[in-house]
Amino acid sequence: MQIDILARPANTITKITFARNEEITAEGGSMVAMSGGLDVQTTTHKRGKRGIGRAVKRAFAGENIFLNHYKAERDGAHLYVAPNLSGDIMTHELQGSSLIVQATSFLAHEASVDMDVSWQGFKNMLSSEGLFWLKMSGTGKVLVNSFGAIYPVAVDGEYIVDTGHIVAFDEGLNFSLSKAGKSWMSSILGGEGIVCRFKGKGTVWCQSHSPSGFGNALGRLLDPIVEYQQ
Amino acid sequence: MNNTKQAIPSVKPLTHVIEGRPDFAYLRVQLPAQETLRVEASAMQAMDKHVTMRTKLKGGFKRLLTGENLFLNEFTAQGKEGELVLGSSLPGDIKRLYLTQNGPALFLQSGSFLAASTGIETQTKFQGLIKGFFSGAGLFLIKCVGEGDIFFNSYGGIIEIQVENEFIIDNNHIVAFTEGLEYSVEKFGGYKSFFFSGEGLVARFHGNGRIWIQTRAMPPFFAWLNPFRRVVTKTKRN
Repeated sequence: MQIDILARPANTITKITFARNEEITAEGGSMVAMSGGLDVQTTTHKRGKRGIGRAVKRAFAGENIFLNHYKAERDGAHLYVAPNLSGDIMTHELQGSSLIVQATSFLAHEASVDMDVSWQGFKNMLSSEGLFWLKMSGTGKVLVNSFGAIYPVAVDGEYIVDTGHIVAFDEGLNFSLSKAGKSWMSSILGGEGIVCRFKGKGTVWCQSHSPSGFGNALGRLLDPIVEYQQ
Repeated sequence: MNNTKQAIPSVKPLTHVIEGRPDFAYLRVQLPAQETLRVEASAMQAMDKHVTMRTKLKGGFKRLLTGENLFLNEFTAQGKEGELVLGSSLPGDIKRLYLTQNGPALFLQSGSFLAASTGIETQTKFQGLIKGFFSGAGLFLIKCVGEGDIFFNSYGGIIEIQVENEFIIDNNHIVAFTEGLEYSVEKFGGYKSFFFSGEGLVARFHGNGRIWIQTRAMPPFFAWLNPFRRVVTKTKRN
């Protein structure tokens, strides 16, 4: 499987070229174009596994609960996938390790990678971002997208990242949620809210812009939706 | 003086450069003396002072239906070579093609037209109601024939695809394609995929030729943005 990342960095798209029988799973709605010779199946879960429970979890995770599975019937079949919002895409190769991906940043993974929504590391998170997380494990490539630019931060010791700017991180990192400033008052008034404190050794990938920050800034300028009370 | 009927169609490729690709592309064209370029309304950003503009009502009512502006501007370099800088209202890419009389015509999605030299004739093609409503490309396509330069723009980057036999494209991502390709609007995958894949209807192209797609589309962006609008509650009066 060959993965080419094109039209970088603001409106990036991925071209995936398959060898026969290779498979990939992509987020529902991400297909831009595809050649013939690809078999498509839509499921709520990993191919060949029961997954209604997982689908419900995905729905709560704010993701499209449906996944599209593409399987090549011939060599050279290809597929273009891209997210809806502007931003970059990166490939991450898993080699037995695990990666935690923020749900809206997930784009696609190879069939050899297992995606789990039941990861509850952040279950107590109280945040305006409404973020949920997917755990990728196994061996193979994962495609992740960001809103804006994507940049890695090598953590060795302790590092703080705003929750709205986390794209993905190595599962080996320990983390805790806390307020950004010294007091809750300054954290909320300062607009930073809740941040994530990573501890240990590993990589966190961050995005230069937060989708909810951009949406709120634009939403204020648009005409309001008027609802009439009886 | 520069009536289109009298103007001699240019068959020389225009000297030009497209900068800022792929996200904020703009086009710099050097118009030879007395040469005219047809440009989408409001696409001119900057130009030499001896380049003059004439506004023409183009294609009349049909052009209104294509979603294009009713007016086209004609820019002419008076007396000597002049520079013209053009761009689209959306951030994205610009692609240039040189069409020839014997080569295939080009079909543009309405809204993608940026500029064409006078040797290019543009026609509005009705797509049929089913294709028009469901293809995402609009009710009409712009057919470009003749010999000369054509420039088109997109939202997001432009990717060129060489099609042999068959290709499937998300409706919202079609920018342009060459004559010789036929397409039909179809459901994506099986029925389950149609309802749940998030892809809905797609355009299935048949034949041989080239297609240009854009890496982003406006409708999904608006669908994402809409929930961020404020909600105002009002009491209904009789």
